[in-house]
Amino acid sequence: MSLLLVKAWLRDWRRRPLQRLLTLVGVVIAVAVVLAVDLANQSAQRAFDRSMDEVAGTATHQVLGPARGFDEVHYRDLRLAGWRDSAPIVEGPARLPDGRTIYVLGVDPLAEGPFRGAASDIGDAPVQRLVTEPGTILPPSGWWAGSGMAHEDRLALETAAGRFEVTLLDRAAERDEPAAESDDEGGSLWVTDIATAQTLLGRPGRLDRIDVRLDEADIDAFAERLPDGLELVPVAARDQASRELAQAFRINLTAMSLLALLIAAFLIYNTQTFAVLRRREVLASLRLVGAGRRALFGVVMLEALLVGVIGTLLGVLVGMGLAQVLVGQVAQTVTDHFFVVAVTEVTPRPLALLAVIALGVGLSLLAALAPAWEAARAASPGSLGRGRLERRARRGLRGLAVAAVVLLAAGGVILLLGIGGLVGSFVALFLLITGFVLLIPLVLAGVLSGLARLGRGQTLPRIGVRSLERSLSRSAPATSALTLALAAAISVSVMVGSFRDSVEQWLGQALTSDVYVVPVAPAAARNGARLPADWGEPLARIAEAESVSTGSSQDTPSDAGMIDLFVVEPHPVWLDYLPLLRAETTGAALDQRLRERDAVLVTEPFAAHHDVGVGDRLEIRVDDGRRMFEVAGVYRDYGSPQGTVLMLGERFYAGTAGAEEVGSFGLRLPDGADAAVVIERLEAWLAERETAAMVTRPGDIEQESMAIFDRTFAITHLLRVITLLVAFIAILGALMALQMERAREFATLRSLGLLPGGVRGLVVFQGAVLGGFAALAAIPLGLGMGWLLIEVINREAFGWGMDLRWPVREIGETVALGMGAALLAALIPAWRMARMRLVPALREVP
Amino acid sequence: MDEQGSVAGMVLSMTDVGFAYPGEGEVLHGVDLELGAGECVAIVGESGSGKSTLLHLAAGLEPADAGTVRLAGQALAGLDEAARTRLRRAQVGIVFQSFHLIPTLTALENVMLPLELATDLDAALRRERAAAQLAAVGLGDKAGREPEQLSGGEQQRVAIARALVHRPTLILADEPTGNLDSRTGEEVFALLLEQVRATGCALLLVTHSDDLAGRLDRVLRMQDGHLQDRAAETPAT
Repeated sequence: MSLLLVKAWLRDWRRRPLQRLLTLVGVVIAVAVVLAVDLANQSAQRAFDRSMDEVAGTATHQVLGPARGFDEVHYRDLRLAGWRDSAPIVEGPARLPDGRTIYVLGVDPLAEGPFRGAASDIGDAPVQRLVTEPGTILPPSGWWAGSGMAHEDRLALETAAGRFEVTLLDRAAERDEPAAESDDEGGSLWVTDIATAQTLLGRPGRLDRIDVRLDEADIDAFAERLPDGLELVPVAARDQASRELAQAFRINLTAMSLLALLIAAFLIYNTQTFAVLRRREVLASLRLVGAGRRALFGVVMLEALLVGVIGTLLGVLVGMGLAQVLVGQVAQTVTDHFFVVAVTEVTPRPLALLAVIALGVGLSLLAALAPAWEAARAASPGSLGRGRLERRARRGLRGLAVAAVVLLAAGGVILLLGIGGLVGSFVALFLLITGFVLLIPLVLAGVLSGLARLGRGQTLPRIGVRSLERSLSRSAPATSALTLALAAAISVSVMVGSFRDSVEQWLGQALTSDVYVVPVAPAAARNGARLPADWGEPLARIAEAESVSTGSSQDTPSDAGMIDLFVVEPHPVWLDYLPLLRAETTGAALDQRLRERDAVLVTEPFAAHHDVGVGDRLEIRVDDGRRMFEVAGVYRDYGSPQGTVLMLGERFYAGTAGAEEVGSFGLRLPDGADAAVVIERLEAWLAERETAAMVTRPGDIEQESMAIFDRTFAITHLLRVITLLVAFIAILGALMALQMERAREFATLRSLGLLPGGVRGLVVFQGAVLGGFAALAAIPLGLGMGWLLIEVINREAFGWGMDLRWPVREIGETVALGMGAALLAALIPAWRMARMRLVPALREVP
Repeated sequence: MDEQGSVAGMVLSMTDVGFAYPGEGEVLHGVDLELGAGECVAIVGESGSGKSTLLHLAAGLEPADAGTVRLAGQALAGLDEAARTRLRRAQVGIVFQSFHLIPTLTALENVMLPLELATDLDAALRRERAAAQLAAVGLGDKAGREPEQLSGGEQQRVAIARALVHRPTLILADEPTGNLDSRTGEEVFALLLEQVRATGCALLLVTHSDDLAGRLDRVLRMQDGHLQDRAAETPAT
């Protein structure tokens, strides 16, 4: 390829830097968003996996007992019987002075080697000190940097058993090594000796589980040796549900990033096409001096390659920065809903980086393909004229409409037949979205034509509308991008708004007590803090309560794997408040069934994940071993994405002495009781107790729950903003292109006497027409997407059902936002057009 | 007669005007020109001699770097962009070499445009006057056509109608036949002259053609940025 040819083509960058910048911005944002979401996802995933692996290690099975743990003598017996590949564990949450929750893993360092040596710090830990010095603990190495603490500092930990001072050991300092780089993205486990953990977590002489490694052949023999009350559970079953759910969350995020990518693709296509067509004079001249078609095609593609490479490299840098913001949010969501993870930095994987680079460069090349083809095909300067191209674009509208119908039909079929699970649902959603977007040019052409007819007699508005209509190849992609971004914003509003309303409503129903007494220490299904069960009677007396309820969450094995079991002693007529979706019977009859027979209720997500319904049976481990329970009903619940099984205490403890500890008490006060006075009396009584507990009201719990909810969706909102930003740039680019192409026309109008303000008004009017169309088109698309997210994708991913809410206010806001974005985008070209020098513009070749 | 007195009654007056495009040498220098009401003047000269630039300065499309340009007695230098535009749309009609019709408007709408921009006439009256002007240039039957549906000659006729429809005092025509074949060019030129004479406005025409120029009241030659009266340079016979 001739160097002069390349120079002739690329020197335009100096003349129109803003146009090149817009193309670059498209690539940068597309690459940055996809990379950032991928990095955040992968980092959180590694953290999640690492935390799970640290907990489970290389164990194939775990020996589990009742929720309150089991005697450590069983471990000794197993070792003595020759089962050496076993390690005892005491685990549970604790709270740091700064309020963050951590996860304490108590291990026997001497037995740990085969289990977690490679996967955690334990293999390198100063084993001697953990064993010989009670109260020492090993924080994850990534924690030190931001903590302000040093090796051998003392730190207060709050746990279910109270407040304890521990001595922090830094592995690097202990081994006289330089401070470790934060290489443990996932390190969130605070490892300590089992004896220290027993003290910290209030489990003297007891274990929570024993990790074992078993060959297939030994499993039955091992299970037979276990005493009553203990059982062997495969590790995979234990964590599978959490892993699947966290994956569903990540798929949701990836889909959002792909939506941003789709919108960015419009932007890149628009700017690339414009960049080529605007230089049609150069192209024509090059053809006239003998440049071949292949050379012209090559030079256009070379430029696209340059844009792709530069944009992608910048995008990678921006993406890394954005990932730092996103990863914290993703990790927080995983922590809130699934498992405590801490991520301190993002590390790009070479493969992911390569994929993103290929994506950015590929997108740029793909977008330039059509204009490069046009450039090469041009036999004469006239053949690249806008009129001709627009006529061709117009002829293509029907083809697009046919493609749209095919895509819409394909999406509909996938949804109706439920093909491909969650991924299939997303594919269907994207097919439907793309189908809708492909219809936009046809609809836009029709609307603009109608507006032009309406505007007969209004010359200037007519010029504005007709000019848009005649530049359909320019205005349609930009409008599609804006429509898509606004629709995404509406759909997120529909989904999050519906979800939020449903959660609020559910909290109102679920929190049926007037006052709650809960442990101060963090509560969790695995060894969360508990309160003495015998507090019920004095609490009721002091509060003069009408009734007292209790509730305790615990992980328990079942034939459906490890499940979250919620054991309750409810208030009278509690079922009147429970949002039952399906049940064998209702009210008093259902209450009687749950009390007298082995029956449970399950939450909607549980029913969805485990494919169980009313009348199905579940084998669940209760206080005295496994029993079969019938599912008597399914109720709506947003407490846990994994799902929960609700069982009455009298069934769980049937045949045993009953609960020694409970997770919380709920007190229902008589009408007219002053809750503030009751809380004061309760707090005075609790102050004298050994177990730290506090009184909360439903409002506090609601507030905290909604805060977690809002944290979960913060990332969605962030991605929504980025998407809108891309769309804004797309419409800005399109309007600028449109106005630059029409510069001669504007100059003519100015020479005929149109004032600079009139030009500004005309350009802003065009922005308003495109923005208004995009906003109106986005409403049906956004509502449809929202409905699909709620009814199909959320059910598929999380099993949650929710009442659809039409967010009129948010729709209004989004429409205003679309109009605002379009008007704002119109301001720059309006300003430029009003200030342009008329003579050079008048001299431009039409 | 003082300077003010000398320009009184002049449609266009240029005194010692100089102009240079940014980064280029001076295009015009020391240009003096006066155009009386109803006077038709041609400017001839080589390509790049500054003929069109003089026209742009006369229309107020570019401000002069030196000297004074007065349009209908008003000095352009003291006016801002908006005021210059208002003056131009009231006093001037422009005919370009490449027609410069608005492609998204029909022929009739193109002709209505100056009326909409420069007058307070109601829509019906605007339409009526534009239709009459279009008929006057022989295109009454093509009022609904868009520019791309018209031949080059027809497009230039529409441009002439558009330039005249709002009754300006001055028509500026920049090579109006330059994009037309000779026969069509001749027809269009005749039409332009006829219409200008009929309406009584002044005409400043830039052309390469000595033949066309010779049919006007006065011919000026532009050479290297200077304007010379051709009558002065050619000895009387």
